[in-house]
Amino acid sequence: MKAFKYLSPTTVEEAIAFHGRHSETAKYIGGGTDVIVKVKEGWMEPDYLISLKKIEEMSELHKNDATGELSIGAMVTHATLEKSLMIRNEYPIIYDAVSNIGSLQVRNVGTIGGNLINAVPSADGAIPLIALDGVALLHGPDGERSVEVKDLFIAPYKTVLKPREILKKITIPPQEPHTGSAYIKFGRRAAMELPLIGIGVLLTLDDDDTCAKARICLGVAAPTPMRAFDAENFLVGKKIDENILIEAGKIAADESKVRDSIRGKAWHRKEMIRVHVRRMGLKCLNMIKDNY
Amino acid sequence: MSKSNNELSSEFSVVGKRIPKLDAAQKAMGRAEYIQDIKLPGMLFGKILYSKYAHANIVKIDTSKAVAFPGVHAVLTGEDVPKKMKMGLIKDNPPIKKGKVCSFRDEVAAVAAISPEIAKKALGLIEIEYEELEGIFDPEKAMEKNSPLVHDHLKSNVLKMPWNIHYGDVEKAEKESAFVVEDRFTTTWVTHCCMGTSGAVALFDASENLTIYTNTQIPSLAHKDFLEALKAMGLENKRVRVIKPVIGGGFGSKLDTYAYEHIAILLAYKCHKPVKIVFDRVEEFKATSTRQPTVTYIKQGCDKNGKLTFRNMRMVLDNGGHTSWGATTPSVMLMPISSLYRVENVKYNAKCVYTNNTYSQAMRGYGNPQATFAIESSMDILAEKAGIDRIEFRRINKNRSGDETPQGLKITSCGLEECIDAVKEELKFDGKNEKGVGTGIASLIHVGGGARIYGSDGCGAILKMDDYGKVDIFTGGTDMGQGLDNITAQIVAEELGLLAEDINVVHSDTDICPWDVGAHASRSTFVAGNAALGAAKKVKKKIQDFASKLFDVPCEKIELKDKLVFVPEDKEKSMTIGKLLRKAHFRPGGTMLMAEHFYDPDNQNMGKELKGNMSMTYSFGAHGAKVKVDEETGKVEVLEYVAAHDVGRAINPLLLEGQVYGGVVMGLGYALTEEVTIKDGKIMNANFRDYKLFTAKDAVKIKAPVIETIDKDGPFGAKGIGEPGCVPTAPAIANAIYDAVGVRIKDLPITPEKVLAALKEKNG
Amino acid sequence: MTTNISFLLNGDEISYDIKDHWTLLHLLREEMGLIGTKEGCGNGECGACTVIVDKLAVNSCLYLAVEADGKTIETIEGLASTEGSLHPLQQSFVDNGGIQCGFCTPGMIMSSKALLDENPGADREEIKHALAGNICRCTGYIQIFESVEAAKEPVVENRGGQNE
Ligand SMILES: Cc1cc2nc3c(=O)[nH]c(=O)nc-3n(C[C@H](O)[C@H](O)[C@H](O)COP(=O)(O)OP(=O)(O)OC[C@H]3O[C@@H](n4cnc5c(N)ncnc54)[C@H](O)[C@@H]3O)c2cc1C
Ligand code: FES
Ligand code: FES
Repeated sequence: MKAFKYLSPTTVEEAIAFHGRHSETAKYIGGGTDVIVKVKEGWMEPDYLISLKKIEEMSELHKNDATGELSIGAMVTHATLEKSLMIRNEYPIIYDAVSNIGSLQVRNVGTIGGNLINAVPSADGAIPLIALDGVALLHGPDGERSVEVKDLFIAPYKTVLKPREILKKITIPPQEPHTGSAYIKFGRRAAMELPLIGIGVLLTLDDDDTCAKARICLGVAAPTPMRAFDAENFLVGKKIDENILIEAGKIAADESKVRDSIRGKAWHRKEMIRVHVRRMGLKCLNMIKDNY
Repeated sequence: MSKSNNELSSEFSVVGKRIPKLDAAQKAMGRAEYIQDIKLPGMLFGKILYSKYAHANIVKIDTSKAVAFPGVHAVLTGEDVPKKMKMGLIKDNPPIKKGKVCSFRDEVAAVAAISPEIAKKALGLIEIEYEELEGIFDPEKAMEKNSPLVHDHLKSNVLKMPWNIHYGDVEKAEKESAFVVEDRFTTTWVTHCCMGTSGAVALFDASENLTIYTNTQIPSLAHKDFLEALKAMGLENKRVRVIKPVIGGGFGSKLDTYAYEHIAILLAYKCHKPVKIVFDRVEEFKATSTRQPTVTYIKQGCDKNGKLTFRNMRMVLDNGGHTSWGATTPSVMLMPISSLYRVENVKYNAKCVYTNNTYSQAMRGYGNPQATFAIESSMDILAEKAGIDRIEFRRINKNRSGDETPQGLKITSCGLEECIDAVKEELKFDGKNEKGVGTGIASLIHVGGGARIYGSDGCGAILKMDDYGKVDIFTGGTDMGQGLDNITAQIVAEELGLLAEDINVVHSDTDICPWDVGAHASRSTFVAGNAALGAAKKVKKKIQDFASKLFDVPCEKIELKDKLVFVPEDKEKSMTIGKLLRKAHFRPGGTMLMAEHFYDPDNQNMGKELKGNMSMTYSFGAHGAKVKVDEETGKVEVLEYVAAHDVGRAINPLLLEGQVYGGVVMGLGYALTEEVTIKDGKIMNANFRDYKLFTAKDAVKIKAPVIETIDKDGPFGAKGIGEPGCVPTAPAIANAIYDAVGVRIKDLPITPEKVLAALKEKNG
Repeated sequence: MTTNISFLLNGDEISYDIKDHWTLLHLLREEMGLIGTKEGCGNGECGACTVIVDKLAVNSCLYLAVEADGKTIETIEGLASTEGSLHPLQQSFVDNGGIQCGFCTPGMIMSSKALLDENPGADREEIKHALAGNICRCTGYIQIFESVEAAKEPVVENRGGQNE
């Protein structure tokens, strides 16, 4: 592996300052499960790696009981999310997604922030955060700014982050009552699998059972994680049943921009969207029913 | 573990016991030394540069920058390879190519340097100019007249090694058949994925004798290959010593010698230092061999009672750019084709065709999985057409002991029917499955008593006893995790009345161990086992002779058990074996007890007409699968799996189950998930994320009933069982899928895409 | 780019001058000669290199040695007692056929240890989930699961004992 200097600042400001000093040749590193692979393969050749591990605030996972807002530090690992009962019970879609990322060894060090900023179309962690209307808090040389997670991605491996900017945390606005959410990663194996396609669905129902809010988010369906807006709009205002979900699945599949790759065929990916929008939708409905 | 397996072979004290693998503790502690772990003083690290194209002329190579790079000790190109240094079955493959490359894995240069990093950097400094040529990647197209030639001087891409047999009269039998079916099946590339990657360390001593540490399943044949390599280098009359470190998985991958071994030898010679080459995982995927992909056309028929009348098969095998032992797999395919079930009229034609893809090698089953996939899928299709129950159909046509098959295989012990019954008992096959669930069955025959492919199918063993009752046995056989060490120890311990732990099995060094043809064809238990047994018998006889004088009783009255030498009817006449050994040794004219035995089975080479009893005995088995097919996604879930085998005798049920479980899961990967994706000759998925081995989470519930038929020639009645676990897995799954949802998938692997596409076609 | 790090390795305090770009696997195997930890892929995809860092199983091939500073590291070499008797998990892998070629074994045992240390009563599904990142080509996993299950009780009794 190429030689580099490893720096471990303890505050965000310090990290940004380090980065400023070494600009072009420096890279942030979270858990390193993407970065180390890239350096080993020679796709990334940093002279400096600036670790975010010692910045304590970035590893905090916290729900504000007063406001209902969830805050996930960018350095929170997938395993921490997976093991949190609060996440499992209140944000099942996050649990579904993170508990099947890579292997336990990867989840023990890989972070949610790294997953977002690495910005591959198959990033499992991105889908639930988009579905939950997550907001990314970015910190750069000029201070802080917020970007909705759904707007974070530009292209494979490209986000809206400016040079030196750090993703500090993701906040999730309070969840409305009567909300259900679920994610499935469709692959050939039960583990160690990048999704052939990832499908996340979130539904919020009004008191009269009509759909107040719908999120249908897809991974590997386009160059970046995407929302199926047409399908979502189709659902809002309707009384949700299986037939409606079937229809939404079709719309989402049509909207997707799936492609053939060595991992899977476009037509099959479309089919999987169609099928799983319905299945995840039904799972949401059951969740809502169970929580009444 | 099936309960009945605990109750097998209870008449012995060591044979039949679930004795943990002898080297397991060492491995559990992380102390076993694999090739990766070997470090010698002054050792250099070698790296290999591979071709940039699937098919190209090498116009120019400039190594000057690499040579000048600090830390580099040697750079080799094809020009530095002695003319006669060639590898492979027909010696058509130099370890570094010059002039022309015909696959991406073709070696074009190599470097030795003081660290792997420097060697890698130096590779990047080698400048090569290529002239790209049109490639050919489809073996059926490669057979056409105007196709580009992989080897220009051969004038055709079809190997001059025709496999052509006709037993009986297939045409006549077809005319007389009541039912005939015809189909085309394909299998693709899969690879061994040994967790320990390939590697070798070569060094020369002051007299230019070679020692090579290498992962090999064929130490004696490798020894011969390397002697020839030395000869090609002008080193006549030198010695070669092959040392096997602990092997991190074999599965057939190490049944030939490879470029990296020859390159390590060349570099070590040039540098006068030990040179180590170890593959990284990407290299392991790209530069080691696969199982042969096949296109199979099969036609078979039966009479109105369901008796098979004929089987007619034609195959095209992708040989890749060079010819390794993979090209001989049709010799083993012939076995199930001619002899799985009773069928009198058999025709088989196979062509191996050069392409610009990677070249293939032996892999667990040696052609049998490909052939059995076609045969057993076709059996179900035929049974349905004839309106006969699938199980009944197989029972009607089962092999029986005493049979001689059209190929000339002599079936001695045969538990096929019991295996079929065991599968039926577990999975019922009563048609009462819920929607989307189905069961499937497929059987197997495999060589279980050696396989005579070379002039000798033998194995030697040398046994010596110390003064305390411990044994060292030097065997030609190879352990690569499958458990030959235990089999040897248990057989010897049983014969000499000792415990398995009293036996030290040495199997790692050609300076010490006698000859063996190699750890292939599931032959080690049978052949190396018989060699060990033969040596143990000779030593036992010596012990009895000595004790006979000591106790003054006839030899036959003396028994060995529980580390004692004794006369059962006279309690006074008993002595620990250690004491007896010392008495034999420490006296004027004393002796130590040792013996050697070379066992070469009485099996036959197949002659020109491809007939002959290639193995002393045959292993049989039947596998059953219960699967659930998600009709909306095409995903197949294996709910239950039963793999019943006739193993002769289970020398060690614990290890036997391990072989079966491991084989089955490898077979399930073959059936469902594994595939080396090759596009225009280039491997696209050289990593464990995209080459989909089963993970622990995919693991399946497997039952492994063992049928003991006590083979008359096997050591304690045992037959080989290393490969069968992965032989009929794919057809068992394909048949279960058909039973579940009515679609027949004829191309491996059976991916969700293929199942769903077939379902869509079926449902319109 | 040399950094001095201190860490607890199998109970021993270690201070070592390392290069920042070394992985923990490189430090253990190539520099310290602890060959028990294996490299099967170098890319986080096989688990052969699994070690335990502060109670968590990690792939040492993707873990930088500098990050071991101040941490407690357990490797396969540290499991057996100082008198040489095997850790119950090691013994169980031996007894139950969990080991064939053995190349996956050190990683497999370390993943199992991390699991049982955290969840001594882990059931089959939990074992599968925890071992999903450890590939074994030889065994088909069944005897590995049996090995872990058979080791459950003794490991619990052993907690806080010598092997911890
Ligand atoms: C074997 C294996 C299996 C995997 N399986 C999956 C899978 O199933 N699903 C999946 O989605 N991913 C998978 N991954 C990818 C990876 O593990 C995840 O994307 C992980 O979440 C990345 O997090 P990290 O902390 O390791 O990122 P790092 O490697 O540390 O960083 C990734 C990128 O983000 C940048 N970065 C990190 N943190 C920040 C921050 N706070 N602010 C700004 N930039 C930052 C880095 O500079 C780098 O460019 C797998 C990886 C491996 C090795
Ligand atoms: S070597 Fe680290 S995961 Fe394979
Ligand atoms: S025992 Fe060989 S890989 Fe697991």
